[in-house]
Amino acid sequence: MKVQYFAVLRDVTGKKEEDWQQREATVGDLLRDLVARYGRAFERWVIKDGDLWDLVIVLVNGHDVRHLQRFNTPLAPADTVVIFPPVGGG
Amino acid sequence: MNGWIGKILRVNLSTSKVSTEALDPSIARDYIGARGLGTKIMTDEVDPKVDPLSPENKLIFVPGPLTGTYAPSGGRYNVVTKGALTGAIAASNSGGVWGPELKFAGYDALIVEGAAPKPVYLWIRNETVEIRDAAAVWGKTVPDTTDAIRAETDDDAKVACIGPAGENRVMFACIMNDLHRAAGRSGPGAVMGSKNLKAVAVVGTGAVSCADPKTFESAVMKARDKIQKHPVGGTGLRLYGTNVLTNILNQVGGYPTKNFQDAYFPTADKIGGESLAATLLQRPKGCFSCIISCGRVTKVSNKKYAGEGEGPEYETAWGFGGDCYVDDLDAITKANYLCNEYGMDAITMAATVACAMELYEMGLITLKDTGGIALEWGNAEAMVEVTRLTGTGEGFGKRLGVGSYRLADSCGHPELSMSVKKQEIPAYDARAVQGIGLNYATANGGAAHVRGYTISPEVLGVPMKVDKDTIEGKPALVILFQNLTAALDSTGACLFTTFGIGADELAEMLSTLTGVEYTTAEFMKCGDRIWNLERQWNLNAGLSAKDDALPPRLLNEPIKTGASKGMLSRLPEMLPTYYELRGWDEYGVPTPAKLGELGLTA
Amino acid sequence: MAKMLMISADKCTGCHNCELACSMSHEGAFRPDATRVHVYTWEREGFSVPMMCQHCRDAPCIPVCTPHALTRDSASGWVDLDQAKCIGCKMCVQACPFGNAIWDEQTHKVFKCDYCDGDPACAKFCPTQAIEWVDDLTATRKRKRAFSEKFKNAFSE
Repeated sequence: MKVQYFAVLRDVTGKKEEDWQQREATVGDLLRDLVARYGRAFERWVIKDGDLWDLVIVLVNGHDVRHLQRFNTPLAPADTVVIFPPVGGG
Repeated sequence: MNGWIGKILRVNLSTSKVSTEALDPSIARDYIGARGLGTKIMTDEVDPKVDPLSPENKLIFVPGPLTGTYAPSGGRYNVVTKGALTGAIAASNSGGVWGPELKFAGYDALIVEGAAPKPVYLWIRNETVEIRDAAAVWGKTVPDTTDAIRAETDDDAKVACIGPAGENRVMFACIMNDLHRAAGRSGPGAVMGSKNLKAVAVVGTGAVSCADPKTFESAVMKARDKIQKHPVGGTGLRLYGTNVLTNILNQVGGYPTKNFQDAYFPTADKIGGESLAATLLQRPKGCFSCIISCGRVTKVSNKKYAGEGEGPEYETAWGFGGDCYVDDLDAITKANYLCNEYGMDAITMAATVACAMELYEMGLITLKDTGGIALEWGNAEAMVEVTRLTGTGEGFGKRLGVGSYRLADSCGHPELSMSVKKQEIPAYDARAVQGIGLNYATANGGAAHVRGYTISPEVLGVPMKVDKDTIEGKPALVILFQNLTAALDSTGACLFTTFGIGADELAEMLSTLTGVEYTTAEFMKCGDRIWNLERQWNLNAGLSAKDDALPPRLLNEPIKTGASKGMLSRLPEMLPTYYELRGWDEYGVPTPAKLGELGLTA
Repeated sequence: MAKMLMISADKCTGCHNCELACSMSHEGAFRPDATRVHVYTWEREGFSVPMMCQHCRDAPCIPVCTPHALTRDSASGWVDLDQAKCIGCKMCVQACPFGNAIWDEQTHKVFKCDYCDGDPACAKFCPTQAIEWVDDLTATRKRKRAFSEKFKNAFSE
């Protein structure tokens, strides 16, 4: 599946996007494997107290997982996952 | 008084009379300052039916009680007037360092009345106020005006001025201060130009005092800490600026393109905050007392679009970007610089160009009309050129200078202007985000995102996440944001402090600074009061419920591509509930009971 | 090792928080005109620089001060200004090559940074650490190292 990174996550991962080869059943599985790959620097933007941080924006095919099943949101191999750290503006 | 100075400066340009009067403490308490105070003065002194460009309109420069203190990011001021673009009450908000200087000079507000017989500028140095001949600077751009006026007054003078656009009464001309900050929307620059007022230069050597320095300092440190710990206010905005929103809005499918024909831009990443930081950004910049530093000092080296200045912000990058279908960041930044130099609201300018591009696509505007400029989607050079022409008032620029509504209307298709109350909708598609659409339709100054920025909860998740596609609870949410913002705007604080703090902290800072006790509830009630005062003014100006509308495209034409494909705005389902929760009747008129609750009269 | 206020102008955003903190702590009100630190902004370039008394080792202000209001504190090494002795002749204003002795038209006094007795308000309030209260030796070495890293990065590419 395609995983895309924005803002400071681009610096943390060194990438704008990647073709993630591992099979992931859920968003939680994917994020845990990404943390394993990119370490604490990545984790601090995404996970708080073992759960999805309320301020991080994770989209699966354009839909915010906070309105799906958060960590338990199922993933399919053709999905595109997009991750934004907390950002704002006006 | 503390926080407030207690004095208002009044300058009548028709009679050249300069006078001062006391600020009524009960008005200060009920309307706080800035937007609220300016609106109260307009209500008391200006007939809502006046022609905005007539001497009977007034132009009020007004900071808030927090302005000039170290309340974090609390140094703003408003320009309140009847908007040239909209014919509605207009409170244009600006940062920089000009607002605090007016406080240090000894004033809570500057009311400009009448019109000068020939171009003048105001030179205010504490109690000394002069109306000076501006013949030598009339026609100059904003940077050149600032230099020239400083040479005649004081090297350190803070200058708010119009560029050629305001002089030529471009309907969306803005007032620029400190070169790069704008009292942007609704055309206050045209009002200033109609008064033959080129600039207001200020030096203030006085003080803003504090009722209780120890408790104020502790309230301020608490607020600073919350903002700095928040990822958006603390680091995100300094690193990437507001333009970081480009990719987010695009990914959720709410990034309007081609005059809102669609809402997804395949090459958006080329013009977002990440790209800006990697290419044109020199360093961040902050306004007076700011701890967030969202400002972008930028430079374009590409000879074709060379320049330096500040920006682009998200709305500007969207307007000259996806809306015109341009993905050249150098060109977008150049158009942004031109808006600052000539003194034009970037959102309206860009959206007007986009509207013109659609009219060109339809053959309603031709190469003959544009003087040979091919206004095709994505033509960056054309976009920059017609922006420049609007600033100089030449050629096709003259036609663009009336804004998208009057332009589209002149072609027989007013519905192709993506505007509300004739003010152009900014960078969030109302079909993809329901609450912001309701805010656009009901904001008193015309379509504006900052009046009730529900993008925060609906897209970002700050302070909590709500579903952008539902309508349940949206009227209440919009009202909450609108009231909070009205009160916040009136203190002089920057809206971006809400990435970190809320009404509690603002009320506490206001109370400890002024010595006037504001509970959170009273603070929010001020916001409600100010909102209703604005509404009444508009109704008396001739606006009505029919102006609380969105362009038909957003109600009838579903988004074509992207994550929000197929969506429409459900404004008609939300509006009746909005009126009801506001305490208004079904025509959107505040009821006597509602007015009584707020201490207002019909 | 002594302490100093380290200025990193490249980090300054032109927010003037330092001026406000300084005037509140010394004058009890927000009055940027009457502060010991001032920030200068060049708007076209978007560059800002905070400036305050550098407590020079060979301070030109001390010898020109005939009432000896300006003296060297032997313990801290800082240049002290005793307002009670100051006659307002403004010789120090003319002597300081940096312009860091400021004449205030309202109070008819000279203002000069006094390091807030060792806890500078400006450094506390600066949101970007453009002003830092640091050990003078390590501070200047850190600056040298930070800049030399740019060479390393340039040659590594």
